[in-house]
Formats: sequence, structure tokens, C-alpha cells
Amino acid sequence: MLHAFHERDGFVSEEAIGVVSQALCIPVADLYGTVTFYHHFAQHPPGRAVPRVCDGPVCRLFGSEAILGALRREGATPMPCSGRCDDCIPVLYGDRTLVGRSSATLEARPSPLPPPNPGGVTECVFGGIREPGRASFDGYRRTGGYAGLTSALRYGVPQDVVTVITDSGLAGRGGAGFPTGRKWQAVAEAPGEPKTIVCNADEGEPGCFKDRALLDHDPHAVIEGMIAAAYATGAARGFIYLRYEYPETMEILERAIREAEDADLLGENARGPGQPFHLLVRRGAGAYICGEETSLLNSLEGKHPFPRNRPPYPVTHGYEDLPTVVNNVETLASVGPILANGAEWYRGLGLLDHAGTKVISLSGDIARPGNYEVPLGLPLPTLLDDWAGGPGEGRTIQAVTMAGLSGGFLGPNELDVTLDEPGLRARGSFLGAGGVIVFDDTRDMVEVARQAMSFFAHESCGKCFPCRIGTTRLTERLAGDGGPSELAAWTEEITDIGDVMKSTSACGLGMAAPLITESLLRNFGDQVARHVDGGRE
Amino acid sequence: MSNPLEDMEKPDVIFCIGTNMTECHPVAATRLKRALAGGAKLIVADPRKIRLADISDVYLPLRVGSDVALLLGMGHVIVRDGLENTGFVEERTTNFEAVRDHLRQVDMGWVSEITGLPAADVERAARLYAGAERGALYYTLGITEHICGVDNVQSLCNLVLLTGHIGREGTGINPMRGQDNIQGAGDCGALPNNYAGFQPVDDPANQQKFKELYGREVSLERGMTKVTALERCGESVFGMIIDGENTLVSDPDRHHCERALKSLDHLVVIDIFLTETGELADVVLPATAWGETDGVCSNTERRVQRLRAAVPPAGESKPDWWIVSQIAQRLNIDGFEYESARDVFNELCAVSPIYNGLDWERIAEGEYHWPVPDKDHAGTPILHQGEFKNGRGILTVVSYRDPAETISAEYPVWLTTGRRLESYHTRTQTGRAQGIDYLLPEELLEIHPDDVATYGLEDGGWAKMASPRGEVIIRVRATDRSPPGTVFSSFAFDDVPVNVLTGSGYDPITHTAEMKVCPVRIEAAEAP
Amino acid sequence: MADRYTINLDGSDVAFADGETLYEIAERHRKEVPTLCYDPRLEAFGACRLCVVELEGARNPVASCTTLATPGMTVRTGTDKVERYRKTLLELVASENREIDVDPLAGHASQELKALVDRYEARTGRFQGRQSGASREDDANPFILRDYDLCISCNRCVRVCAEREGDYAISVKGRGFDTQITTEFSGPLEDSDCTFCGQCVHTCPTGALADRKALRHADVPGEIEKTRTICPYCGVGCSVDIMTKDDRIVGVQPAMDGPANLGALCVKGQFAYDFVQHEERLKTPLVRGDDGVLRPASWDDALDRAAEGFRRVERKHGPAAIFGVASGRAPHEAAYAMQKLMRAGWGLNHIDNCSRA
Ligand SMILES: Cc1cc2nc3c(=O)[nH]c(=O)nc-3n(C[C@H](O)[C@H](O)[C@H](O)COP(=O)(O)O)c2cc1C
Ligand code: SF4
Ligand code: SF4
Ligand code: SF4
Ligand code: FES
Repeated sequence: MLHAFHERDGFVSEEAIGVVSQALCIPVADLYGTVTFYHHFAQHPPGRAVPRVCDGPVCRLFGSEAILGALRREGATPMPCSGRCDDCIPVLYGDRTLVGRSSATLEARPSPLPPPNPGGVTECVFGGIREPGRASFDGYRRTGGYAGLTSALRYGVPQDVVTVITDSGLAGRGGAGFPTGRKWQAVAEAPGEPKTIVCNADEGEPGCFKDRALLDHDPHAVIEGMIAAAYATGAARGFIYLRYEYPETMEILERAIREAEDADLLGENARGPGQPFHLLVRRGAGAYICGEETSLLNSLEGKHPFPRNRPPYPVTHGYEDLPTVVNNVETLASVGPILANGAEWYRGLGLLDHAGTKVISLSGDIARPGNYEVPLGLPLPTLLDDWAGGPGEGRTIQAVTMAGLSGGFLGPNELDVTLDEPGLRARGSFLGAGGVIVFDDTRDMVEVARQAMSFFAHESCGKCFPCRIGTTRLTERLAGDGGPSELAAWTEEITDIGDVMKSTSACGLGMAAPLITESLLRNFGDQVARHVDGGRE
Repeated sequence: MSNPLEDMEKPDVIFCIGTNMTECHPVAATRLKRALAGGAKLIVADPRKIRLADISDVYLPLRVGSDVALLLGMGHVIVRDGLENTGFVEERTTNFEAVRDHLRQVDMGWVSEITGLPAADVERAARLYAGAERGALYYTLGITEHICGVDNVQSLCNLVLLTGHIGREGTGINPMRGQDNIQGAGDCGALPNNYAGFQPVDDPANQQKFKELYGREVSLERGMTKVTALERCGESVFGMIIDGENTLVSDPDRHHCERALKSLDHLVVIDIFLTETGELADVVLPATAWGETDGVCSNTERRVQRLRAAVPPAGESKPDWWIVSQIAQRLNIDGFEYESARDVFNELCAVSPIYNGLDWERIAEGEYHWPVPDKDHAGTPILHQGEFKNGRGILTVVSYRDPAETISAEYPVWLTTGRRLESYHTRTQTGRAQGIDYLLPEELLEIHPDDVATYGLEDGGWAKMASPRGEVIIRVRATDRSPPGTVFSSFAFDDVPVNVLTGSGYDPITHTAEMKVCPVRIEAAEAP
Repeated sequence: MADRYTINLDGSDVAFADGETLYEIAERHRKEVPTLCYDPRLEAFGACRLCVVELEGARNPVASCTTLATPGMTVRTGTDKVERYRKTLLELVASENREIDVDPLAGHASQELKALVDRYEARTGRFQGRQSGASREDDANPFILRDYDLCISCNRCVRVCAEREGDYAISVKGRGFDTQITTEFSGPLEDSDCTFCGQCVHTCPTGALADRKALRHADVPGEIEKTRTICPYCGVGCSVDIMTKDDRIVGVQPAMDGPANLGALCVKGQFAYDFVQHEERLKTPLVRGDDGVLRPASWDDALDRAAEGFRRVERKHGPAAIFGVASGRAPHEAAYAMQKLMRAGWGLNHIDNCSRA
């Protein structure tokens, strides 16, 4: 409802808050506080019309500050990474995204398709995405879409779907990597109606842009996965929680949902006669934390988007305190192919004993950025050098991030890893949502770390103390304003803050943020020393 | 209250009638709001759109003084649709048939006409309350301060007895007492009809008992009420002792009241300030105030709690019990040789069956709800469990009566009075608290914006308000909390003595004054 | 052996009830687990993370206030590791505030942060940086000081207003380090739904929300003494503590364990106490002279006059001419003595109280 006012007026006025407060029975003070939480909700005109320029870690490398400077006249403001790192720099004008490397070359163009797989490996989620017309219902059907779902609905029982997904070894692709089959089983068994399927399309992690590609070019694959999840768990309603920065995707999704409704795949009889599944798209309003599933649920319910305390988990106490599946876009898009080809097929896609594939969003100082679907267990150098063409002419790779920014950096001596959770966790990092940003040897890693930490500080919800204060203190220290001027004391403060954040934060944001400083100290001690020394008068 | 305050969090349907709880009993209201947060439904009947109305599920803005008609309507719906709790009615009540037949004849069109409410809303309220598993009823002076106060309460009892919402957790009929120890004054026997512990004076056994205790036979006849006494001042009443009450400002029809007190031969006032009433006295005796006095009080849920002195008395002030005892001793009355509040309280416990199980030490933590008949008793948070005190609950045929005065061409507007959150009664106390003026600097007359226009007034301007008994000048506040045709003010400010207007009648049984209803005339006025 | 309802707490098996949190169990066994965002009357929030304990099998320590006990858990409440985290957390909290030491008159819970910082010796001055929160000096209400320079965003005030008072007058705005307690549209409390009940003040662990009225007496020398009594206003009968310094009433605080109010008060009970030691109090008896003027008199004279008057009325008009009005504001003893005076003195029931008005 707030979105309706925001669109109509271009900002959320006090009257609008009053009206919404009455209609939804949310106290005015609470609603006001919640509106101030989201950075895209303007409270004053001109508000929404003002251009917003991505200043995420990749766009920074390619001149976002210059664009911001050039557009200052129009009142432009920066926004965190908006998921177009493979084709930057995005500027959001109301409901249109323009991209270009300078303010003069800004133009509207569709988000890039994933490049053809350079390794020639069998793909799961990208298997059909490059087929022409794939985004339309007919095109999707023609290229094998909805086959897996239709046969599951026709020939099986819901438990069969759960079993296939469990056996396939599919695990969450949104960051936490929880086994999807187990999640669905839990929701299927949990008491309470109606149940809900939520597709997490908040994709707030800097350096991640895979969900955008999937939703823009293969929206029915995600819808098919959601219907399968609804069938498997007995859910009657679903939401796609889409980040604010993807307005074009919103239109694509709404069209796809209409098509699926017209084909009776969604609606009153979606799961069989008299067994409804209704699907709605809901827009975020600019808050990374809303990708965290419990914060997302609060946001969906119109509450202040602090993460909830767990347990209880969403599988039993999710949307409106009822059993809820929350799955990432990529996870859901994997479901159709798995149902069509079988659990064994999916398992076999991975290398060694790793099951399946993962999309890596690769960007930064690399010849061919883009989304690559890799078999789990693929060596990182294969991806960087063989598939994506390595760094620029004459440059070497100084560092790559993992999990967008959340996994911290791998230094020059740490690049010999395989892309899978056990391999990366052994190095103090993790694969997460699969964003990999490359930094070559010209980059100032302390400055990169500062930008990353200020992202976390900006996006910390402010609920728990270690993260709320810790992210700010770490940012200050990386920026050189504040903190001891002596290296040992500086390092000790950074380490103590990091330890307490990792061990006591209430959600993944606060736990992950210190991986930035931890990996900085581990790999770039010399740059840190120069930074601390330089801070001394 | 039949049920404790903590029960306010437990009902699934709550019916509030004539109680502006968020302002008069704010802390109790917080519990009610918690029940609502937990999913309970709220019915509010009040002429004014009070805050509770904002959070209600059914709001019944009935015409002032038409409560009986509303309750008859609800009763009608219950018996008509067979919603009564048959088991409860059979086991625990009498006179059902007569009341049922009476209720059956009630015409919903008539109810609607008298109350000004749509019949559908009355039906909804009746079904909601009757259909509750735990229905609880709360009321205050909005019910009792009428010439038909007893009828109102009786009608509420009927509703409770028909539905069986009593004697269990989260139910009950719950009057909310307005003053910190008004319950206690009754407990102690400061009533013309009862000794301490509600032992009727007209029962010879009680007369005998107190003859032994007080060393003198007390009349079997009930005494006068205060209202009667004030009426007879100068005729048959000539001496009066008033403790801690600013009768002049708080009682209705101030001019009459002043004449009455002035016609006394002898008036003794005990108070902490020199009040308007004290100014008329022959002797004014300074009492210690709250915070300076040890003692005991009972709250609205019959919980007996200790008051403790924190600071020494102001000047030469003395505890009320000491003052009264000194007067008694000078009159050679026996039995006033108390040395402490403890002595007095322990005597009360000894003579009052509902307090027999208590003493000064046992109530230190405030755990007991009376009745506590003996030392092994844990107290009685919920009354009427399993059985009523006198056996069965009696259903009573009640009929509607118009208020003593109704609006006319000369006095076309209903005035209703009440309290406000920020001030208390006659403001002898709150008026002297720093900062309270910030919230409520002066008395306001709350008028619906339409009426403001009709009577040529201005929001923030001044109005003259008149009744047959007098007139006041008061500032106008336009608000849709007041319905059209009804205005509201409190009686907290001495410079706007609203009670010169009120006092059109009294309940024939309790002699409670009709404070809630008074026809008035309003017109624009100059600033005073 | 751990049976169905026991956990191992610091080496001993202890029983627990269904639905109990680890914090509640630890509290029962006097483990003194530190907390800042916890108030037993409120739903656990899990923000300050001071209450973390080690739970066998869990990767990280868990917040004990939000973790329900399940049979067989092994929990350690005071290991070196969690104690170190607690100290670091307190150093961080100390670094965001203007000051830690606030006057105890600020509010019931106002010493909590100070006490913990002292207990963990966390005044190390580490982690200096920007301070959070901006005081609302423009809010001129006479009751509640909103000094958010001292705020640590524990949200207790917001939660008490919503969960206990039911007013939803305040909420939290912004996010991260810019989190700020606010009213609707950031206005003063007077323009919000606030009823000045003071509950937020008394749950605030830092004095960021403070009893402005009581703080006027901060400079009065002497120790604060508390006397438990009952509020003098409506019939709910809330328990309060009168705070005195050197025989002067300097404030009122709600009793958190008051049976009728459980820590709640309203604006009257909380702030309207100055009448007690008001200069206009009657300090001596007054007797009307022959000239009709009320004049101060000694107790003896006044009491004689009072008694003599009744004797005269009785002689002239009989006992039925005397009437007593007891107070609904005075304690039991007053009412009891008054009715006894009427009954034992004149043998009649001419006694009433002020409940009818
Ligand atoms: C700070 C934070 C941000 C997150 N953002 C996202 C996100 O943008 N998209 C997403 O799918 N999951 C995100 N997650 C993970 C979700 O909490 C959740 O694990 C996921 O949606 C579950 O889906 P999956 O099992 O399919 O991965 C985030 C987690 C954290 C802690
Ligand atoms: S870790 Fe950060 S983002 Fe997560 S709950 Fe705590 S403050 Fe919020
Ligand atoms: S004083 Fe009471 S109503 Fe006002 S903000 Fe505090 S808790 Fe809420
Ligand atoms: S004002 Fe006090 S209670 Fe409220 S969040 Fe800040 S520190 Fe906590
Ligand atoms: S008390 Fe548990 S997190 Fe604050």
C-alpha cells in the first residue's frame, strides 16, 4: 500500500502514512519508523523522480562517482549495488533502469543473458534460458518447461516431489545452503493453514545478479518451482519478494503470472481440483536485510523489518506465524529441471561428491564478467582464467570476494580452492549466493574493504548491538577516522570487534561482515600497516 | 469487582459500558488492551466517542441516560434467539420466566428510537457478548450516576445472569471504583445501611453483636444518606463532620450545597488543604496526607494493601483516625484508645467477617482479596464461584425511565460530565502538581463541530452554558468525540464549577446524583 | 542422567518447565547473566547479546533470553570466552554514549548500564568513534527527558509502550547506527499518543529517557530512600515507591512487583505527588472566631471546640441532627473511626461516604 502512494505522489507523505495506518491497523508511530528504515522511500518531494546511481563495489571500479557527480544537478543520490555488475553502471529513474559507463551513454537495455557455458558442462537452471522466447509462457512450454511439474501433478502424490528434491541433494542457493527437501518436508508436516511459499528475490548482496537474469529471461522456471513447492507442502498462497531495484523485472513477472493463471497453472485449481495456489509479487523498498528470510517475512507483514529470533523457524512460524517455505530464486528455478530429469541426474552434475550446480555471478576486473553455472567442486582458477578470460592485460589478480561481499576476500595465495562450501569454509570463507568480485593488483584493498564495511554499516538493521556498533566502528577504522594510531592496538580492536560480531550477532549480516576485516588482515597486512601509519600525523 | 484485575487479560469478549477506562483507570485499561492484542473482542457503549471506542469491535454511541433501553434490547435478543446459558439459568438463578416474558415484549424499534442506535448494532453486541466463552463486563460512574443507577446495575446483572458470565476466570460484573479507597470506606462500614464488612444494620443479630463491641445499642434503622442529610441541613440536621471531601465542588447543584452547609450550627472539616468546603467550617483540622500516613486501603478488586508513611507530617497535621478519636474521647465515647493505625485496623479485622483472616502484618505484601474469613483462607480473587452469597442469583424485571430532566426548547443540549486522565476529581491534588498544567491547563467544553456552528460558537472561544440551576462560562473545544447534541466537561476546575448546573435528580434507592445527564442551553460568550 | 525436563547448567543437572528460556533458568539459579535489552515483563528481544551462553553442539554462543530450553541441553553461562565477549560488547556500548553515570533519580532501571560497565571493568576507552542518538532538547514536556545521546537502542521503551501500556506512541526509526527512538513524524511526545505514563522511563537502562521532574532534585544532597506504598488516585491501587531524600519527596517510581500494576502507572500516580509537601498544606488547626474569621488554633482548643459543638447540637436537636461523612481518599482507619464515632457516639447510622458523587 505504501508503494501505491509512493508511486502516485513520488514520496510517502504524512497523510499517506495516516491512511495506511488506519487501513492496516498499524500504529502511526510504528509505520513512520518502518518507512524511515527503507532507503528508497522518500518522505518529501521530489522523492522518487530523483535518479539513483549504483555505487556498489563493482560500479565504483568503473566510474560510478563520475556519473553521480554529473547527475548531481538532478539531485542524484547513490544506492548500494543494484545487481547489474555484469553490465554496469545502472541508474534508476523511477521505474526505468538506464545503464552506461558515463552519464552521456546512459541507455535502457535488457539485462544480459548468461554467456554460453564455456566449459560445455550440462546446465540445470540455465539449461533453457538462452532459448528464444523463453520468457513467454508458450516459449517456455515449447522448450520443455512445466513438463516436470505437469507429470508430478498428474502421476504422483505431493510426497513424491519432496522425495525427489531431497534425493537430488538440492540445497538453498540464497546463501545459507539449507537442504531444500528437508525444508519442504518440515513445512508439509507442520500444523497450521494456510501455508505459504515465498520466493526470495531480494538479491541485495553486492556482486550478485543471477536472480535478475533468471527472472528476466526465465520467469516461468521460478513460477514452476513455486507451484511444485506449493503442491509438495500444501501451500495455498505465494509471494515473490522482489527488490525495489528491479522495476522491469516486476513487469515481466506480472505478465508471466497472468499467463500462468490463464493456463490454470495458478489459481483455484493449481494443485488439483479445488486446491488453490495464488501468487503475488511484492516489492521491497531498499533494504539488504530484507533478504534475510525472517526480516523479509516481517517486511511482507508490514512490520518493522528486524530479523526475528529463531527458533521458531519459518517452516513452522513464518508468514503470519504459519508454516512457510522461503526459497531463493535459483533454488526454485532448479526444481523444474530436477522433476523432469530426476534426482540422480541433478546429483551427477556436480564434481567429486558434490551434488548439482551453482550459478556464480562473476564481475570486477575480469575479461568476461557474467553469470556462469558451474558444477559444484569446480576449481576457482578454471572459472577465472579458462572460462572468463582472466584479469585485464598485464594485470594479476590480487583478490576475489566470495558470497558477494559476505565471504570476505581470498588473497593471491588463496585462489587454489574449489567452488563448494566445504572447500571454501576450510579457508574461512563461504560460497553463499555465489557472487565473486575480482580485484586486480592496482586496487587499494583497504579502500575496497572500507567500502564493503560501510555497505554493511549502512545495511545493518540496528537491532543487535555487536553489528549495529561494530560495523560502524570497523568502517571508521578502515576510513582512518578513529581508532588507535598504533598498529598492534589497531589490529587488536579490529580483531576483538570481529570476534564478538562473528560469535554473537543475531543474524548472518553481522556474522559475515567481519570476514572482510579478517581476510584483509590475513592477506594484506602490508597495506593495513601503511594505512594505519599513514593515519599518524 | 467480582473478578481481579489480572482477569482483564483473559476474557474473549469485553463489554465496557459507561466507563472511560483509558482516562479514569488507565492502568486497568492497559490490561484490557493486552486482552485485545491477544484477540479479544470489545464492545463499548458510551455516548461519547471515547478512546476505547476507537479500539472497539462494536461501538454503541447511545443517547445519554438510555442505558436501560439498550440493555433491555440486548436482553431481548438473547431470549428471543435462545442465547441464554440454560444450564446456568436453571442451576443458579431465580425468576427467569418473569424476566424472559418481560424481555420478549421489548420492541427493537423502540430500543432504537430511545437509544438512537441502529437495531443491528444492538443485536451484534448481544450476540457477541452472549456467544462469548468468557464475557466480562466493566462499568463505572457512567452507569451509577443516574436517577436510574440501580436500574442500570440491575439490568447489567440480568445480562450477566442470563449468560452465566460470572464466577469464572475472565468473566464477571466489574464496577471500577473511582477513588483509591472508596471501596475501603464501604468495607469499614461508613455506610448508612451497613456495619463494617457489609453487615446490615437492620439485622438484630448484628445489632446485638455491635452492642457488645461498641458498648451501646445502635438503631436498627438505616441512617440518612449524604444526599438526604444535605437536603435536611438547617431543618433536622445541624451538626456535620466531613473528612477529606470537597463537597462543595464535587457534589451536584453547588448553590444548594452551599446553602445547606451554611445553615448548619456546627461543621467540622478534616482535610489536608483549606478547601472551599473548609472555608465554611467552624473548625478545620489538618490531616496528614498520603505519603505521611500509615494505613490500609482496598482497591477496586478488593485487594487489601498497606499505605506507608515516607515523610514526616506537614506542620502539626495528624492522622484522620487520631483526630476522630480525640474528638470521641472529648465526648467521653469509649473505645477510642488507639495508639496506632495498626490498632484501628486490627479492630476492624476482628469485627468484620470478610476481614477476620487478616491483620496488619498479613497484608504487608497485598496478597489478599477479601473475603478472607479466617487465617487459613487464601483470599477470594473471584466472587460467586459455584454459588452466590445468598443462594441463587435473582433476575429482576427492570423498566426504562426517562432522565429527571429531558431536553426541551429552552435547554436543547445534553450535558454529561466525567473525569480526565490528567486531573483527579476536584484537583485539590493534581492541581498542585508541577507539570500537570502542561497537559491540561484549563477546563474545556467538548462540542461536536456541527453544534459549534449551530450555536454560533468558535473553537477555542467561550461559551455560556446554563441549566435551571445556574450557569458557567467555559472554553469551547470542537471535537467529534462528542456526538451532535451532547456536550462534555469534567468538574475538576474550581473556576469553571460545572456542578452548579447538575443535580437534576437522584436515584431513589442509592441517592446517587444524576451527574451524567443534564439538559443545558449554550450560547457564545465573552471571555470571563 | 538427563531426564525429560532437565538441562545441564554449568555442570549440574537442573529441572525446567516447558516454555522456559535458558535465561530464566539461569536466573533462577542465580547465575547473574548480564542483560541490557531484557525486561522480564516484555517479550524477549535478543538485541544486546550480553546474555549469550555456550550451548554444546551450537557453532556460536546463543542468546539465552530467546533460547527455549530443550531436554538434554548442556549450557555454560560464564566461560572465559563469553565473559570476554560481554566485556567487548560493553566497551562498544560505552563508546557510543556521551556518559555512563546518570543520577539514580532518572528512573527505576537507569543504573543498569553503569552497573554492568563497572562489573566488567569496561571503562577502557577503547573503540572510540561517532556517538549514536540525538537528544531531543526541543521536547519541552515537563515529565520525560529524552536525552538520546545516552540511548543504546535496546528498544525496551518501544516495547513497553506497545506491550504493556498499549499506546504505541513511540517506535524506532532509521537503521543501523542511525537507529533512533522516535514518535510519529519525529514530533514531541505531546503531539503523539503518549499518555505520560512513564513506563518507558522506568525500563530505560541508561537514563536516556529520564524522569525530568525527579531530576530537579538531583543536586539535593543525601541518599535516596524508597518507601513502598499505594498510589493515592484511582481505585486500581497501583504499588509505588515514594523516593525521598532527607524527608523530602523527590519522586515516585512504579513497583515492578506491585500486584495490581506490575510496574505500570499513569500520569497522575507517576507525576502528581507535589501536593503532599505543597506550601498551601494546612499545618495547624483552624477555628472560626466570633468575628467569623478562621484563625490558627492549638490542637487542644480546636478539638475542644469540635467536640463542644457536637455536644451543643445534640443537646438542642437530638443525636439525629448529627451526620458524618467519611472519606473515600483516606485509609481504612479514618473511615472505621468515623463510622464508629457516629454509631458508638450517638447510636445512629448517620454516616455515609463520598462514593455517591
Ligand atoms: C543479511 C542476509 C541477506 C540475505 N539476502 C538474501 C537474498 O537477497 N536473497 C536470498 O535468496 N537469500 C538471502 N539470504 C538468505 C535467506 O535468509 C534465506 O536463507 C534464503 O532465502 C533461503 O532460501 P534458500 O534455502 O533457497 O537459499 C540472506 C541472508 C542474510 C543473513
Ligand atoms: S546482525 Fe546486524 S543486521 Fe543482523 S540482526 Fe543484528 S544488527 Fe540486524
Ligand atoms: S510515557 Fe507511556 S505512553 Fe508515553 S511513550 Fe512512554 S510508555 Fe508510551
Ligand atoms: S531510550 Fe532507553 S529504553 Fe529506549 S532504546 Fe534507548 S536506551 Fe533503550
Ligand atoms: S538480554 Fe538477551 S540479547 Fe539482550
